[in-house]
Order: sequence, then C-alpha cells, then structure tokens
Amino acid sequence: MLFLTSIVDLPVEGKSGDRLGRLYDLIVRLGDEPYPTITGLVVRDRRRRFFVPAGILQSLNGTARLASSTVDLQPFSRRDGEVLLRQDVLDHQLIDITGRRIVRVNDVQLTRVDGVYRVVGVDISPQALLRRLGPRALAGRVVGRQIVDWAEVQYLASAAPVQLKVSYDRLADLHPVDLARIVDALSYRESAEIVAALDEETAAEALEEVSDARLADLLEGMDQERAADILEEMTPGAAADALEDLEDDVAEQIIARMEPEEAADVQALLSYDEDSAGRLMTTDYVRVRADATVGAALAAIRACEEVPDPLLAVYAMTPGDPDRLQGIVRLRNLIVADPATPLAEVTDGDVPTVHPEDPAEAAARLLAEYNLLAVPVLDDAGRLLGIVTVDDALAVLLPEIWHRRGPRAFAA
Amino acid sequence: MRPRLRRLRPYLLALGPGLLAASAGNDAGGIATYASAGASYGYGLLWAMVLVSIFVGVVQEIGARMGAVTGKGFSDLVRESFSLRMTAFVLLTLLVANAGIIFSEFIGIAAASELFGVSRYVSVPLAAVLVWLLVVRGSYSRVEKIFLVLSLAFFAYVGAAFLAHPDWHQVLVETVHPQLHLDAGYLSLLIALIGTTISPYMQLYVQSSVVEKGVTPAEYRYTLFDVVVGTVFSGIVAVFIIVATAATLHPHGLHVDTAADAARALEPIAGHYARVLFALGLLGASLLAAGVLPLATTYMMSEALGIERGVSRSWSEAPVFMGMFTGLIVLGAGVALVPGLPLIQVLIGVYVLNGLLLPIQLFAMLRLANDRQLMGAHVPGRIYNFVAWAIAVLVSLLSLALLVQTVLGWFGASKG
Repeated sequence: MLFLTSIVDLPVEGKSGDRLGRLYDLIVRLGDEPYPTITGLVVRDRRRRFFVPAGILQSLNGTARLASSTVDLQPFSRRDGEVLLRQDVLDHQLIDITGRRIVRVNDVQLTRVDGVYRVVGVDISPQALLRRLGPRALAGRVVGRQIVDWAEVQYLASAAPVQLKVSYDRLADLHPVDLARIVDALSYRESAEIVAALDEETAAEALEEVSDARLADLLEGMDQERAADILEEMTPGAAADALEDLEDDVAEQIIARMEPEEAADVQALLSYDEDSAGRLMTTDYVRVRADATVGAALAAIRACEEVPDPLLAVYAMTPGDPDRLQGIVRLRNLIVADPATPLAEVTDGDVPTVHPEDPAEAAARLLAEYNLLAVPVLDDAGRLLGIVTVDDALAVLLPEIWHRRGPRAFAA
Repeated sequence: MRPRLRRLRPYLLALGPGLLAASAGNDAGGIATYASAGASYGYGLLWAMVLVSIFVGVVQEIGARMGAVTGKGFSDLVRESFSLRMTAFVLLTLLVANAGIIFSEFIGIAAASELFGVSRYVSVPLAAVLVWLLVVRGSYSRVEKIFLVLSLAFFAYVGAAFLAHPDWHQVLVETVHPQLHLDAGYLSLLIALIGTTISPYMQLYVQSSVVEKGVTPAEYRYTLFDVVVGTVFSGIVAVFIIVATAATLHPHGLHVDTAADAARALEPIAGHYARVLFALGLLGASLLAAGVLPLATTYMMSEALGIERGVSRSWSEAPVFMGMFTGLIVLGAGVALVPGLPLIQVLIGVYVLNGLLLPIQLFAMLRLANDRQLMGAHVPGRIYNFVAWAIAVLVSLLSLALLVQTVLGWFGASKG
C-alpha cells in the first residue's frame, strides 16, 4: 500500500538516473470516477516547480523513476479543475459519509492498478499524525491505520484555491439530522457550499435541524428566491422560526417571494408570540364533516394532496359551520371501525383545547397530562386554527435537546 | 437624519466580537497587571498602555481580516498551510498559553471569593463544577450575560480615577513620553501588559466569530469598525485603572500584592464598598472567561487534529474531546488550589508567560496573512505590513530581553 506522506519529497530521476528534483505534489481531477486517477506530478527543483505527466511515471520505489529522460519540463501552474493531493487534500477536512462526521485527512492512500495510480482512501488515524511528527526512521514503528474509502467521502470544493466542479450527490445519503450536524460544525462558508448543492427539499429537511444562528446566516447569505423556495418546503412553524431570526426587511423580501399560500401560513404563525401555542401549532391537519361516515373520513384523508405526517387524528367539524370543532376522531378508531359507521360514534367530543395566545409550555403540559398526541388550538370565537402535536411539545418540555449541540468554538 | 441613521445601522449591528474580545483583555489577569503597573510605577507605564492598545488593534484587525477572506479559523489555517511539525508547535504554545489563562481565571475566582471571606477551597471547586455543567448542558449562554454585567463593575475605575484627583498634566506627559527601564521588574510588567492585552485567544476569538458569522470581504468594513471601537474602549478602561492605582496607591509606596490591594484603589468612588465592587467585577470577568476558554481551546485543538468533537457527545463517543475539556478545567482549578499561592504575582506570571509565547503566534499569523494563495488581493498593504512585523519583532525582543534578564538574575549578575 502506498501513502502520500511516504512518497512526497522522494527524489525524481529520469531513465538514465539523472536527477530532476523532488516529488512535490500529485495532481488529480475529481470527476465521475469513484477513485480519481493521478494525472500528473509536480516536481520541485530548488525554487522552480515543474509539471510531469503521470503517464511517464514508472515506479515509486525509494525514488520516483520516470520512463524517459528527455522530459519536456513545463513550469507548473495551477489550472481549474485540478486538485493537488498534498496542498488541497492532505490536512484538510472532508465529510465521512458512512461515519456521518467531519474528518481531517492525516494521510492519503494510493494504489496502482494497470499502471495507473489512483486515490483509494484517506487515513484519519492519530497514528498517521504520529508517523509524520516523529523522525522518519521511527515512522515504521507506529502501527495502526483508520482508512476511509474515497468512495465514502465528500470532498469540499472550497479546500482548493481553483474552480472545481465537485458533485455533492453523496450528501443525499446522509440523514437530515446528521447533515444538519455537519452543516453546524463546518465553517459558514463550507456549510453554505454544501447547502447550495442540495435540492430544495433536502436542504429544507436539513435546515430545520440546523442551529438558529447558522440558519439565519445561511438564509441571509443565499439568493432570496432560493431562500423562499427552501422555506416553502419547511413546515410553516420551522419557516416562521427561521424568518423571525432574520433582519425584518430581509424576512419581508423573502416572504414576498414565497408562494402566496405558504406565505400566508407563515405570516399567520408569525402574528403570534414566539413562545405561544399559536406559534407552536401546525396548520397541517385533516378536517372532515362531523355528520360523515368513517369511510368518508378515510376517503378525505386519501384525497389530501399531501397527507400530514405524522397523522394522528382527523378533526370533525360542525356541519354548517366548517370552522367550529365538534370533536376529534383518533386514527386508531377510524381504522378499526366499519366504514359505514357514522363518524359521530367514534368522535371524542370532550377534548381539552388551548388558545393561540396561551404559553407554549401550557399546551405542552396539557399534552403530557392528558396523554394526548395533539391538542387543538381554538381562537376566541371557538374556531379551529391548528393543532399542537406531541412532537413540537417535546421541544418545549425538553429544551436541552435543542441546545445539545452546545456553543461551537467561541460563538456562545 | 434618517437615511444617515440607516447607513450607520450595519456598523452598530456589527459591534460585538471585537468589543467583547478587547474587553476580555480586562479580565482577572488584566486587572492585576494594570493595577500592579499603576501601583509600582505610577504613570510610568501609561505610554506603553497606549502603544499596546495600538498593537492590539493591528493584531485583531489582521485576525478578523483573515477570517473574512478565508472563511476559516486560525487553527484550521495553521493546519492546512503549515507543515505538520510546525502546526504541532504552534498549537502546543497556544494550548499552554490558554491553559495558563484558564488557570488565571480560577485564581480570579479564588481572589474574589476570599474578598467575601469565602475560602477558595470552597469557591474554586464549586466554580469548576458549575462551569463544567453549564457548558456541557448547553445553558452557558443563558448565564453569560449575568457574568458580563458583573464584569462591568470595573468601569468604577474610571470614576475612581477622576475622584482620586490625579495630576492630569503629568498623566498626559507620561502618556506621550515613552521611557524604558531595563530592570527585570519593569520589563516583566511591560511584557505582562503586552501578554494580557494581546492574549492569543482574543485573536482566535475575533477570527472565529468572523468566520462563524460568515463575514465577507465586502462587509469587512463593519467588522473593522467593531475592532477599532473595541480596542479604543478597552484601552481607555486599562488606562484609567493605571491612573486610579497610580494616584491612590503609588504615592503611598503600596504595591499590589493581593486582590484587596487592587480593590483599595476603588475607595475614592466606592468607599467601604470598594472590596465588594471589586470582588463582583472580578468574579464576573473570571467566570465569563472560565466558561468560554476551556471549550474554545478544546474545539481549537480537536478541529485541527480532526478529533470527534462536541460537548453533546458522550465520553465514549468523543473521549479525547471530553477528556481535554474536563482536563483543562480540572487543571486550572487544581493549580489555583495549591496552598500558599501568592495570587496576584502568579497571575502576572501567567501573563509574562503569555507574552513570551506571543511572538510565536504573531509570526505564524503574519505568515498566513501574507500568503497570497490564501489572502489573494487582501494581503496587508506595505506600510501596514511593516508596522505589523515591527510589532512582532518588538514584542519578541522584549520577551528575549526578559529571558536574558531572568537568566542573568539566576547567576546573580543582575544589578536590579
């Protein structure tokens, strides 16, 4: 097995043994291949740097031997699309997709297949650091490696000072929560780079879990049209929370670019205080007429353009006054009952409710006390505005979860 | 009026990191050093304070600029641009310097609690446990503001300086009239002054908060404003502490050996409550830094090393991270409990050490700032660069002078 740190600085010799300089760096192009090919070498002779095409590299055994002596030594200059392994990969950060974390490259593993050198993995072990820190003679004594397969890492284009086309497809394999944690842990610029590469739905899912401060910075930094598109994909509650952390004029501009329906939902939520039940509630629930049958209620669920997730119950509304809540039908009752049963027989009429101006904590405690999965939010006139689900209530009762990431670096 | 206000708004909004970082220089060690400088040498070190404030401004500015241009923190840049051995060396000096400051914050807590008549064997372990829990449970940011308000007590020094009726003419003359003595006491206080005002962690703080906020080169002028305001602001407080102690303690030949001595300079304004006021300020400032530094230092080290990190991780998930974080607190608090420790002298000693390590960080920073690969067109201008290098060289020479003095002192060759 070949490792980058053991071959850099090797003397480079031509076919006849004439010394050309020392191996300074290796050039790769990150394309569609899972294991990128080495395309060239950077050779240093005193202060000058030369480019040598990888095709004429014959062996790397103690010296880097070239297949020809009459190498046309062109001065090396950086070109777009080229990544230098020593300068842009070694010691830089990568995302380990399988490990769901950010790692630092302590060494790069190479291999030779059919005469072509390829990058196959990165060593992230502390032992690799020790080998490089100590004298070279002792390096062999330090054992232990922790190799992450190159096909399992995501390279960050901002690590190289040239224009790169890097595919971020691999990020889609991450769970949104893991992706959010990575977005939080990276520097702002790296995180913006990642978010820019995600499709709107994935970005929305991940950003719902990102810390408030980072989310505000990301939304303010991106194109407003895209910010609006991403917010549309979020739950109205999450979108409202995100918008509230922005500068007022920026938030207004973004809302103006959202689809009217989503914008209205978000604005309705924003009219309530931050810690109120009104802000906590979701407007994503299913209404049915109280005089319908169980079968009709099930059909109404199926007819939804987008069925709420989680779906816990349907809300039976007074016939003739479609905003007035008559009772709740739990999904369980709906499923076990015969489709022909009148809904009234499985409706639970006596349910606790909350007012949108009530403190969020009161709503959460109500859910906990009565073992409810959701509590309806009614306004002064008794009209149903939305529901507070147990998921959202959990975030109020266990705020530590939302602080679990802790302050990063100095940004307390 | 309105449009003008609107244009000012981004500047006001940017106030924060620079202000906080510069004010953080006025922590336990800062107060001890300034008070000691005023008491022992009167107005004799005022000129240095002014000069050091300019140094702080320049160094902070370069840190902030690197953050804005590269989008990366200091330790990231060091790891990615320097050889691994160089990285290890730079990070090690930063670790030692920060460990020293963490220790000094616990000393500050000890000194403050003893002014209230509470033994440090009670207060220091209590503070250590408190800080650990607050940070690990993620509730530190909620109590941070309380500490910040407490630390504002040091503004009383400004009032005290006026009420002590100093000879303003002399204050002014000494401020613009540099004088350098080569005795070890003066030199070490001068270096402590530099070490406490330009502590490495402040530069790291400014740079990392610029990175966190995603400041771009185009928005950089707002950050610059923040840095300048912060520097001027903290410089003024430091100058007034020196003036206050110089006017009240120096004429009586009093030295600052204990926290109570430093508190005495507040008597003109606070009378019998001088001790209480001082103790509250010291407690707030110390807890503020003690809460931020261990975590920040651990993040800095583990990011550069690529270790699994985050206080939300359990011991088994991130053993090195949690171990280092806990270790720094235990070490800092533990050393502060050593019996018979002369608190104020030890504090100043820590900052002398910081001053001695500072050149390493300064040179690393300047090399990065001048790296065109990283900074592109944003490398410092020629004159500005010259000033920055001159500062680094000057600080190095002073540190060297102190080392030589100390070594000569061991052999009895010193006249002082």
